[in-house]
Amino acid sequence: MGCKSVFAGLAGATAIALIATFAASAGDAPPAGTIVDGSLKGKTLTFVSYGGIYQDGQVAALKDFVDKTGVTLLNDGPTEIAKLQAQVESGNVTWDVVDTADLPPYVHCGTLFQKLDFSKLDISHIPPGQVGECSVPAMNYGMVLMYKNDTYKDNPPKDWKDFFDTEKFPGVRAIDGSGDPIGALIEQGVLADGGSTENMTKEDIDKGIARIKALGPDTIFWKTGAESQQLAESGEADMIMMWTGRAMTAVDNGAEYTPVWKDWMVVMDQMTIPVGVKDTDAAYALLNAYLGKREQEILTEKTSYSPINDEAKPDVPDSVAKWLTNTPERISQGYQQNIKFWVANFDYASEKWTALMAGN
Amino acid sequence: MSQTTDTTATGSASPRSADQTAPSHRRWRLAAYPSLLTAPAVLLLIAAMAYPLLTIVLRSLSEPEWGLQNYVWFFSTPVNITVLARTFSISAWVTIVCVIAAYPYAYLMTAVGPRMRLVLILCVLVPFWVSGVVRTLAWVILLQDSGVINLVLKWLGFGAVKLIRTPTGVVIGMAQVLLPFMILPLYSVMRGIDLRLVQAARSLGARPALAFWQVYLPLSLPGVFAGAIIVFILALGFYITPALLGGPRSTMLSTLVQSQVLSLLNWGRGGAMGVVLLVSTFVLLALAAPLMRQRHKQASRS
Repeated sequence: MGCKSVFAGLAGATAIALIATFAASAGDAPPAGTIVDGSLKGKTLTFVSYGGIYQDGQVAALKDFVDKTGVTLLNDGPTEIAKLQAQVESGNVTWDVVDTADLPPYVHCGTLFQKLDFSKLDISHIPPGQVGECSVPAMNYGMVLMYKNDTYKDNPPKDWKDFFDTEKFPGVRAIDGSGDPIGALIEQGVLADGGSTENMTKEDIDKGIARIKALGPDTIFWKTGAESQQLAESGEADMIMMWTGRAMTAVDNGAEYTPVWKDWMVVMDQMTIPVGVKDTDAAYALLNAYLGKREQEILTEKTSYSPINDEAKPDVPDSVAKWLTNTPERISQGYQQNIKFWVANFDYASEKWTALMAGN
Repeated sequence: MSQTTDTTATGSASPRSADQTAPSHRRWRLAAYPSLLTAPAVLLLIAAMAYPLLTIVLRSLSEPEWGLQNYVWFFSTPVNITVLARTFSISAWVTIVCVIAAYPYAYLMTAVGPRMRLVLILCVLVPFWVSGVVRTLAWVILLQDSGVINLVLKWLGFGAVKLIRTPTGVVIGMAQVLLPFMILPLYSVMRGIDLRLVQAARSLGARPALAFWQVYLPLSLPGVFAGAIIVFILALGFYITPALLGGPRSTMLSTLVQSQVLSLLNWGRGGAMGVVLLVSTFVLLALAAPLMRQRHKQASRS
């Protein structure tokens, strides 16, 4: 790769643009995690994410980047696509790097989010299938089915089919109702209905949603991660679809629930650069540093989300390690929703999902 | 009886009405000058209210193209109508619960000594210092199936009640958040009621209930209406409390607006929903206004 020589040759460079041009002409991006001393002195970048320990962890991961390049890093959030749209429309974009949910960078690629120039980013260590035209993953986690030990005892649910089977597995279900439609769950509904997820159509969306509705009027749609955790800790629901981070914390706090890893749903946050940012190269420099091995290790150590650099070996206790989703075993059990389909049918799915959430 | 009541009533009412008319006369004479004083407020309202509102109306008519398509969509989608009706019915229930809970409380505030009154006022105001989200989450702990209320019921030998994720739970939570908005206007009206009127009624042989019903209640009605309007209108736009305490069957319109704007970036439809809510609120208030004015007149006449 000649990484070393690239790095050494440019150690004294002051402008990150130089790397970009050099790397582009060399046909290779600077390796993930590259940080050039003093390259961004006097510049300011605004990083936007979802706050809490997650954003704290991201900032901790970027500390080395900030210290060495001399950039001033401002934090903002939480990410709201509507706010970003207002910025892009008014031509005054103050968010330089934005952490978003799964689908928005696909839905608004090229209009709100820049098409990424992969000669400026090293994506060689990102797990396969996670890089989009307008996004790289920010971290990985999963949506698991957590069942209450007391309720099911010796005959626990084994997969999402059991989740949808209210006869064999009676009990209250709790579902992620925090925002966008959960494509993966609708797909599981289609499968439970005896359908297939190959060549899905709009009717399949109706079918999948009908299955969710058939779970009964007691079904809980939780609005925030904290709420899902609270549901588990108080034992309010018998099966809860939960983010792994929240599931881990709930179990640590004494929730008597067990995860089902079969077909756990792959979720990732996305890192994006909005259209119209003032210093694109500086934003790329931040992104490329973020993808680095050490940065991703720090992120996982601070947040317990899984790293998206396959070389990262985060130093975490066993209680955290068993919830990470980047082990070979977990990768083989994961279920990835059909991103293309959900992007193409985003509006229709959202409308149906909203109606479901509103009890119609 | 009627004579005594009348003299006392006019005795107390006429200086008040003189107070009301005198400054308004002066205001008219000095029209140019005091109206300038309202400039900061007017500017603020234009910048923070009129302009955004205008933008919303325009966007509801112009996105994705000029026309009424967003309104056609609103009224042809069943879920919107259901949720709009539900928003009004939940708000009405909240208002009723607030009136019932606030009326005796506000009355108590006028009846006790100054120190006790301070304590009561603090009890009303302290919740204002706590974030609405925190208060709502506290209600989650209280209302949930394994929550405090159900534990107490179980301990007393009653069956469990489903409170959380039902409209009942939402009404309880919203009423608690909005209660101060009912108590304060009620209190300020009740404080101005001359209690001697009730005494007069009693001395003329009216039983306490009758004296309250015929004298005190009508005089306090302006406070009830003021509080009810504030609570009702605030309730219409509630977001966090129904989202956290409610289930699908208690989703309110603000949640639908949120999903249109924040996840679908459909500002036009979101705007149309807002405008529909605003207009229907106006219509409702316009219908209620004559009723209130009449009652008010009756109240001041008696």
